[in-house]
Amino acid sequence: MGHLHLQCVDPSVLSVRPPCLCLSAMAPKKKEEPKPAPAAPKPPEPERPKTPVFDPATVTLEFTAEQIEDFKDAFQLFDRTPASEMKITYAQCGDLVRALGQNPTNAEIMYVLGKPKAEDMQTKMLDFEQFLPVHQHICKAKDRGTYEDFVEGLRVFDKEGNGTVMGAELRHVLATLGEKMREDEVEQLMQNQEDTNGCINYEAFVKYIMAT
Amino acid sequence: MGCGLGKSKQQMQKCDKVNLSVPASIAIRAAVLIQRWYRRYVARLEIRRRCTWNIFQSIEYAGQQDQIKLYNFFVFLMQHFTPASSERNLISHIFHDDPRHGAQLETFHCYESIEVSNSYTGPRLTFPLTFCGVSKLVETFKHRQKLHARYVLQLLGETAKLLRILANINHVSTSYTKEITICGDLHGHLEDLLLIFYKNGLPSGEKPYVFNGDFVDRGKNSLEILLILFGFLLVYPHDVHLNRGNHEDHIVNLRYGFTKEVLGKYRVHGKKILKLLKKIFCWLPLATVIDHKVLVVHGGISDATDLDTIARVDRHKYVSALRPPSRTKIKNRSDVTADGPVTRRRRVCSLTHDRCVPPQRYELQCRSLQNLPTSSWTEEEEMRRRGVTGAEPRWSYSDLDPDVHDWKQIVDMLWSDPMPQNGCIHNEVRGGGCYWGPDVTEEVLGRHGLQLLIRSHECKQDGYEFCHNRRVLTIFSASNYYEVGSNRGAYIKLGPDLVPHVVQYQASQTCRELSLRQSVGWTERSALQALREQLFVHTSHLIAAFQEFDPNHTGMVSLRDWASATESVLKLGLPWRVLRPQLVSSTCSGMVDYQQWIRELTITKPNLEISDTSILETMYKNHSNLETIFRIIDTDHSGSISLEEFRQTWKLLCSHIQTEISDDAIDDLAKCIDFNKDGSIDINEFMEAFRLVDLSTGPKVTE
Repeated sequence: MGHLHLQCVDPSVLSVRPPCLCLSAMAPKKKEEPKPAPAAPKPPEPERPKTPVFDPATVTLEFTAEQIEDFKDAFQLFDRTPASEMKITYAQCGDLVRALGQNPTNAEIMYVLGKPKAEDMQTKMLDFEQFLPVHQHICKAKDRGTYEDFVEGLRVFDKEGNGTVMGAELRHVLATLGEKMREDEVEQLMQNQEDTNGCINYEAFVKYIMAT
Repeated sequence: MGCGLGKSKQQMQKCDKVNLSVPASIAIRAAVLIQRWYRRYVARLEIRRRCTWNIFQSIEYAGQQDQIKLYNFFVFLMQHFTPASSERNLISHIFHDDPRHGAQLETFHCYESIEVSNSYTGPRLTFPLTFCGVSKLVETFKHRQKLHARYVLQLLGETAKLLRILANINHVSTSYTKEITICGDLHGHLEDLLLIFYKNGLPSGEKPYVFNGDFVDRGKNSLEILLILFGFLLVYPHDVHLNRGNHEDHIVNLRYGFTKEVLGKYRVHGKKILKLLKKIFCWLPLATVIDHKVLVVHGGISDATDLDTIARVDRHKYVSALRPPSRTKIKNRSDVTADGPVTRRRRVCSLTHDRCVPPQRYELQCRSLQNLPTSSWTEEEEMRRRGVTGAEPRWSYSDLDPDVHDWKQIVDMLWSDPMPQNGCIHNEVRGGGCYWGPDVTEEVLGRHGLQLLIRSHECKQDGYEFCHNRRVLTIFSASNYYEVGSNRGAYIKLGPDLVPHVVQYQASQTCRELSLRQSVGWTERSALQALREQLFVHTSHLIAAFQEFDPNHTGMVSLRDWASATESVLKLGLPWRVLRPQLVSSTCSGMVDYQQWIRELTITKPNLEISDTSILETMYKNHSNLETIFRIIDTDHSGSISLEEFRQTWKLLCSHIQTEISDDAIDDLAKCIDFNKDGSIDINEFMEAFRLVDLSTGPKVTE
């Protein structure tokens, strides 16, 4: 009967995607933002960089009318409210931005959403007007990472300098460093990419990922 | 949420453990870069998958509305043609049952006269059926062999006898050790049933099962599934429970493929088999209740659902849920069909209509396709009609016909869908049953002391879905329902704690698992092809719609107008702008050259060359209905109808959809379809005529 793909799933965890957040201080450069007015002197705190808060009102929308229509269509696809209220949850925001072709980090998403708490992600909502500045901000991000950057990123793990990386090493890195991926996500990414020696030709790999 | 140096220290430590050859900071940067691209990749795939899903569902629902329209067409005929009319005779038989009681016993024993030759190598079943016998049956079908017609009929006969003594509602209890397995729609997908058995085990005293309807139609092995399920039912009548679905209905089967499957597989005895199945379907129980706490029913509920009523109805009287048990006054529909502009896209997943339909209580309505004035039956006509059929009891002709009330309950159980908003409104998309809201769930479950409703009836991408605060669970067991890779199937395990555990799976015919990207791509291609076909059959309407936006005849419309016009013609509620890159090859500065686009769509054409292309579209649009009509007319299931019958049918359909067709055009058409020129039309010839031929690849077909 051929290969069977079977999976036992506990439905109680399915509805909530586990937040995969890891705000590393090593994350890509911060965006330039108009800094808020300096706060009153605070009592000494443990050393923590002061992070500005995202203010959507400061974002100028540069989208064309056509683009906005396209976004609206996609926004509607994500709208799961009972009465088609044109609202999406905070958790969906990242998905939508990425579906429209951007590739922010989770940290950037959380930033533009105003660093919500984990429990807010499923409950707080954004309407289309609120979404636009969020999307605009991400579109304007400077270091989106080009094809070359991506290849360079992978070349880091190319020990022998022969255009391949060890699948096992890459899996480990993706699951333990940066904005960690879950095992099943890693599996999905690497599916059918490794050759018989467990190696991945990363230029081909990058082309594949960027082609969607 | 800010995390300062503490976290990165942790990561650096991890790097040391991994023994990377690169500095930790670089490794981390690289990881983040890959991860963000991965997340983009997944999101892009997801939106494509969602679009594809929308396409399939909206086309499916549009097709279902077709079925209801077809049914209304027959009702229209019944009302408007005199008893002497030959057209009426063509179809009247679907409205009447064989009244002779003796005929029932005949059918149960009709297998006896059938001989099995020595060359038959399949299983020779003995009755009463044993576990050995039914497992032999499973093996036979696994190896794609056929069961001899004699044993088919014998098995069905035994099943019919058993079903008649079962109650309307199966009551099941989970004892301390037993878990019950609940499966949803199978729709002829034998692979999925075998996969469930492989993963979960065969039904037995220790392994009870509930099968929640829709065993047949669409898939290719509906009959095999039925025989297996009935086989297990015969062997383990206390542990295998079947609920009737809306597809366990001979009229629906005419349209959705089961009738065709049976007649194709059993050319000599197929008709007998179908007759027996018609009885069996109406004797299937309607619902299952587990531990007095969990209700399992195929479609769902309505605000009128009352299990006590359901328990005492004569369920076998409702041969087809599409047919009310007695003639009621046909009301004139003055409200719902207002075709206002679609301001918000109708989302198939929630099926909320954006037209101004006031939520209304479920009413018996007979909806005419074109809002034609419908006359009401007079009591005289009614009696006359009943005089023809014979021994049916006479009903008092009032609106509170108890039979109709019972019938509504059954239709609700088999056809309804949940909706997110509160309330209970008529299910317009399906034409039967209702949409019910979370408040109705609470009220009905509360009233009966139940805690969970398990139902099927709707395909779900993950094979299952909770709604109404997890009080309703939809379970769908036919994976790859629309297309290879379109969705998973699932089944439920329910133990004494009555907490549902869902097991998902996906039957795959290829040896290698498709990667997510491949399966999305495959399904997407198939969906887009189906969508292009839909667009193609609406060509003339599309052009007219575009021209309204283009008063100066420039041949161009804006993207916004393109989306708006396309939706107004197709009415599928799809995200046209998101789909646009896949449908329209190029745009110039935000404008669509619609003439060019239409030309591109006609690269695929039906495999039929006729001189009058104006009726081609009409015919193609209605070809499923026509096929269904032919099967109904073909009363002896011979597979062909006379040219005269074809002409009559075509004329009737055209008068109903209010299209002008000349006799010459029909004759021309008939001659074209009669490929072997023998004066009759083979149904397969007819279907062949509608197979789309991609002219861009093959040699051009010349006149």
